[in-house]
Amino acid sequence: MSTDTQPDITSRPTGKVAREKLYNGIFFLCAALSVAVTLSIVVLLARDAVGFFAAVPPSDFFLGTEFVASKGKFGVLPLVSGTLLVTVLSALIAIPIGVAAAVYLSEYASERMRAVLKPGLEILAGIPTVVYGFFALVYVTPFLRVLGLPVATFNVLSASLMVGIMIIPMVSSLSEDAMSSVPDSLRQAGYGLGATKYDVSTSIVIPAALSGIFSSFILALSRAIGETMIVAVAMGLSPQMLDLSDPLSNVLGNGQTMTSKMVQVVGSELAGSDAGYKSLFAIGITLFAITFIMNLISNRIAARYREEYE
Amino acid sequence: MATQDGLETSREGDQQVSRMRGRIFEAMCLAATAIGLVAVGILLLYVTADAIRPFSADPGWHLVFFATLVVPSTGFGLYLYARDGNAGKVAYTALGLGLIGVLLAGALVILFVEIFPYGEWFALSIALAILGAVTVVHRRYRRHAETERTGLLIVTLLVTVFGIPPGAIAELLGLPFYIPSVRGLIASSPVLPLDWIMLVPSLVLPVAAAAGWFVRGRRESNRAGLVTAGAVIVGSVLGVGLGPVVGVGVEGWMLIVLSTAVPLGLYVESVLRRDEGRLGLLFPVVLVGGTLLGAVLTRTLGFAGPDPWLDWGFLTSATSTTPADAGIYPVMVGSIMLLIVIVLTTFPVGVGAAIYLEEYAPSSGLMGRLVTLIEINIGNLAGVPSVVYGLLGLALFVRFFQMPTGSVIVGGLAVGLLILPIIIISAQEAIRSVPDSMREASYGMGATRWQTVRNVVLPEALPGILTGTILAFGRAIGETAPLLMIGMAASVRVPPNGFFSRSGAMPRQIFQWARQFDPAFLNGVLPAGVVTLVFVLLVMNGTAIIIRNRYQRGS
Amino acid sequence: MTQDEMTDTNDGTDPTANAAADTPDPSGDPLVDQSIDVEGTSTTEQTSGTARTVLESRNLDVYYDDVQALNDVSLAIPAKQVTAMIGPSGCGKSTFLRCINRMNDLIDSARVDGELRFEGKDVYDDDVDPVALRRRIGMVFQHPNPFPKSIYDNVAYGLRVQNQTENMDEKVERALKHAALWDEVKDQLDKSALDLSGGQQQRLCIARAIAVDPEVILMDEPASALDPIATSKIEDLIDDLAEDYTVVIVTHNMQQAARISDKTAVFLTGGELVEFDDTNKIFENPENQRVEDYITGKFG
Repeated sequence: MSTDTQPDITSRPTGKVAREKLYNGIFFLCAALSVAVTLSIVVLLARDAVGFFAAVPPSDFFLGTEFVASKGKFGVLPLVSGTLLVTVLSALIAIPIGVAAAVYLSEYASERMRAVLKPGLEILAGIPTVVYGFFALVYVTPFLRVLGLPVATFNVLSASLMVGIMIIPMVSSLSEDAMSSVPDSLRQAGYGLGATKYDVSTSIVIPAALSGIFSSFILALSRAIGETMIVAVAMGLSPQMLDLSDPLSNVLGNGQTMTSKMVQVVGSELAGSDAGYKSLFAIGITLFAITFIMNLISNRIAARYREEYE
Repeated sequence: MATQDGLETSREGDQQVSRMRGRIFEAMCLAATAIGLVAVGILLLYVTADAIRPFSADPGWHLVFFATLVVPSTGFGLYLYARDGNAGKVAYTALGLGLIGVLLAGALVILFVEIFPYGEWFALSIALAILGAVTVVHRRYRRHAETERTGLLIVTLLVTVFGIPPGAIAELLGLPFYIPSVRGLIASSPVLPLDWIMLVPSLVLPVAAAAGWFVRGRRESNRAGLVTAGAVIVGSVLGVGLGPVVGVGVEGWMLIVLSTAVPLGLYVESVLRRDEGRLGLLFPVVLVGGTLLGAVLTRTLGFAGPDPWLDWGFLTSATSTTPADAGIYPVMVGSIMLLIVIVLTTFPVGVGAAIYLEEYAPSSGLMGRLVTLIEINIGNLAGVPSVVYGLLGLALFVRFFQMPTGSVIVGGLAVGLLILPIIIISAQEAIRSVPDSMREASYGMGATRWQTVRNVVLPEALPGILTGTILAFGRAIGETAPLLMIGMAASVRVPPNGFFSRSGAMPRQIFQWARQFDPAFLNGVLPAGVVTLVFVLLVMNGTAIIIRNRYQRGS
Repeated sequence: MTQDEMTDTNDGTDPTANAAADTPDPSGDPLVDQSIDVEGTSTTEQTSGTARTVLESRNLDVYYDDVQALNDVSLAIPAKQVTAMIGPSGCGKSTFLRCINRMNDLIDSARVDGELRFEGKDVYDDDVDPVALRRRIGMVFQHPNPFPKSIYDNVAYGLRVQNQTENMDEKVERALKHAALWDEVKDQLDKSALDLSGGQQQRLCIARAIAVDPEVILMDEPASALDPIATSKIEDLIDDLAEDYTVVIVTHNMQQAARISDKTAVFLTGGELVEFDDTNKIFENPENQRVEDYITGKFG
C-alpha cells in the first residue's frame, strides 16, 4: 500500500495521451464530415447554378411557364406546380391517416398489437420508392380505371396515392413520439374528471402534442417534395402548369415534378448541353433550399416540444 | 365535454352516445393504422403472383402443396402462437437464420466468383495471418512498447498486404521500384491450389475456431468446443464428395455450410441447452419437409408446377430485349458491390461520428456550440432528398474528382453520403441507451475515454448499432435516384469487373424495365425483379428486427 | 456494532499512525476544529495528532450551471479510517465524493472553486490527469454496476486498462478474497457477473475497485439498493477494508454511519458542511443544534 510505488497523479504514459488525442481527432473528423457534405452541396450546386443563371435570367427560370430544354426554355413554374400538386394530394392522404394511426398506437394499441404494427410500418417505410412507383404504374392506375376514373397511363393521382402511403409511417411515428411524450399526469387529470378515452385523446393528448405533430407534417411534406422515383416512374415526363379552372384534369392527367425533371435531364443527351446540364443544378439547389429550410423548421418545432415536457 | 351535455339530455343516453363515439373513433384509428399495411400487402401479393404465376400450375399441384405445406405449417404456426410464445419466437428466429444464411451464401458465392477470387482471398488471409502473428509475438516480448508496435504494424501491413511503396501509389507516380507484397506474390503465383483447398485454411478453419470458441465458452467444456470445431470442418469437407452430387459444387457446399448450417447449428444448440421453446425448432422442419414431400408427390403424380418469371434462369442471366430471357444477375452483382463500398465507407465513419457526439463532444463553450451545430446539420441532412445527393455525387466525384461516370465507387459514395446521417443518428441512439452507470464504473477504475468506449460502450451498444445500420443499408440497396444522377448504366450484360468500372444496380434495372411498354416486361420481368429486390430488403429488415428483439434492454 | 468495537478497529487499523504519535484521543481530536477553521491547522499538526491526512478540502464550492451544490466545504480526511458523509438528499454529499476523484469532470456544467488536496496535491491543478487520479482513488457506486462480462473480466478490468497484466490471476484472486467473495465465486469465474445476486454484485464491484490497489476508496451509498443481510455483509467488509485503505462513504442511513465510520461529516441543505467530527461525538454530543435535530430525526 506504500504510496511511492504508485504512479504520480500528474503523469500518464505519453503514448496514452497521444492516443487519446488521436482518437478524439479522428472521431471529430467523422462528425465534422457532415458539415463538409453540407458545404459541398451548397458550394458545388451554387457554382453551377450561378453559371446557369448567367446564361438564363433568373426571371425566366422562376417565372417561366414552359420547360423545354431543346427550345432553351427553362421555366421552373410547371415543375413547381407538379411538385406542389403531388405534395398536397399526398399530404391529404398521409396526414389524417398518419395522425389517426399515431393516436391508435399511442393511446389504444395493446402491447401485442404494437409489436405487430410498428415493425409493419417500418417495413412500409423501407420499401424502395422505385417499387412504389412500379405499384402506381402497373397496379394502381388500372385499378383506378376499374373504378371508373378517366386517368391517363401516367397520372398524378396514382403517383400521389403512393407517395401518400409512403410518407404515412413518417407522420405516424413522429406524431406518436410527440403523443407518447405527453405526460401521463395530464391524461390522468382528464380521466379523473370523468372523461372518456376519446375525450382524452382528442381534447388533451392531441392539443398537447400539437407542435410535435405539426413538425411531423413538415418533415413528411419535405419528404414528398423530394420524392423522385415514384413520380419519375408513374407520373409521366411532360411538365404541366396547374390549370386553376379545371384542376381535376391536372390530377387525372400527367405532369412532372422538379425531381423527376432532374432525373430525365441527366438521363438524356441534354446533360451534354451546357445550359441543360446546369439547369439541373438550378433545380437542385432550389429543391435543396426548400427541403433544408423545411427540415430546419420541423426540427426546431420538435426540439421545442421536447423541451416543454422534459 | 361529454358530462356537460349530459346535464341537458338524459344521462344514460348521453353515455351511450359517447361510448359509441369512442368505439367508432378507435375503430377508425385502427383502420388508419392498418390501411397502408393492407394496401401494400395486397400490392405485394399481386406482384408476387405476377412474378410466380401460380395459376399456370395444375390444380392438382396446388392441392398437393396445400395438403403437404400450407395446412401443416399454418396449423403448427397457429398452435405455437396460441400455446407457447417462446416456441413461436424460436420458430421465426430459426426460419430467419436459415433464410439469412442462404442469402448470405448466395452473396458469398457471387463475391468469390465475380469480385474477389478465391486466390485473392487466400492470399489476403495469409497476409493478415502473418500480420496477426507479428503483433502477438511483439506483444508477448515487448508489452509496453506501444509506439514501437504501431510502427511495426504499419511496416508489416505494407510488406504483407500493400507492398512497398503501395502498388497504387507506385503506379500513380510511375515508380520503377516496387516490392510486391506477400499478398500480391501469392495471388499472382502461377500455381495455386484448387479453390476449395484454399478455402479450407482461409475460411473454414477460422469459422470452425470461432464456433468452437463460442461453444467452449457457453458449455464451459473444452471437449464441446473441440467437437464443434471438428464438426464444422468435417461438415465443410464433406462437400468434396457431396457438393457436386447435389449440384452446388464443393465451394458452394462449403459456403452454405459455413453461412447457414453453422449459425443454425449454434442456435439449435443454444435452444436445446436453455430448454426454452424447443418445439419451435420443428417449424422449419415442417416447412422444408412439406416442400420436399410436395415436390416428390407432384412429380410422381405428374402435376405440372407453375411457370414463373422469377426462376433460376432469371437470377442467373443478364437482361435481354426478349422478356423470356431477361435476368437480373449482373445488376445483382452491381448491387452487392455497391453495398460493399457503402458498408466499408459509412459504417466506420458513421459510428465514429456517433461516438464523438455522444462520448467525446463537450456540451458547453465554443466547441459545444460547434457540436450543436453539427448535430442540427446532421438532422437536416437526413431529410435532404436523395436526388440532391445524386447531384452532389455527380458534381463532386464525377466532375471534381474525375472518377468514372456510373462506376460502382461513385454510386457507393453518393448513396453512402445519403445514408450517413441516418447511420449516425441511429448509432447515437444506440450509444445513448448504454446506461451511464457502466461508463462511471469504467471511468472510476481509471479507464481513459477510449478504453471506456472500446471496452464498455461499444460492446453494449453494438446490437443497437447493427440494427440501425442494417436498416440503413436496406434503404441504401433500394435507392435509385442517386444512381440515376451519377449515371449508373441502364442495362448491362456483364457484371462490373472492378469497383471503378461502370455498372448497373437492381433498382436501376427495375426503373429501366418500368419504362418498357411491352406488357411482358411490365407484368412479368418487372414483377420478378421487384420481388427479388423486396425479398432481399425484407430479409435485411427481418435480420435487424431479430437482432433488436434478441438484445433489447429492459423494456 | 458498538462504539467500543469501533474504537478497537480504529486502533487496529492505524498501527503506523499510533506508533508515530500519541494514543489518539477521540474527544480531543484537533481535526474537530479543522472543520470550522482549516486555515489555522497545518498538515504536520494533523499527522502528529492522529492519522495522517490523505484528502483535504479548503473552501470548496461546486456549481452546476448556476446552482450551487457545495458551499465553502473544508475538511480533512484521515488515512486508513472510514469517513462517513451523511445528510438529507440533495445536500451535496455525493457531489463532494465525486469531486474527490473528479468524476464531476464528466458533467460539463459542473464548475469547482477552492482547493481539494490529495496527498498535498490539488487535484484540480492543471497538470493533474484525472485518469491517473482515479487510478489511485477507486469508487463504488450506489447501484451495483458490474460490466456485462465474466466475473473474472470484471475484476481484471482495472488491471487491464491500467496495463498491470502481470500475475493477473493472482491479483484477481486476492481482490476477490479481500472482498469476501472468493469462496462464493471461485468455481464460476467465467460466469457472467450479471448472474450474481445484488449483494454479490456489489462485493464484486468492491473487488473490482481494490484489484488495482488504490489508496482511497470512495463509496456512494453502496448498500442503499441491497437487502439487510447483504447490507450487513458490505458493512463488515468496509470495516475490513479500512485496515488497508482510506474509505470515504456517503450514506443517508445514519445508523450505518454510526456503525461503520470513525469520522462523520454532516451536510445539510445548500451544500453546506455543518459539522465534522469523530463519529461518536457527532452522534452523542453534536455541537450544532441543526445537526442534533437531524440526527434525532426532527427533519431530513
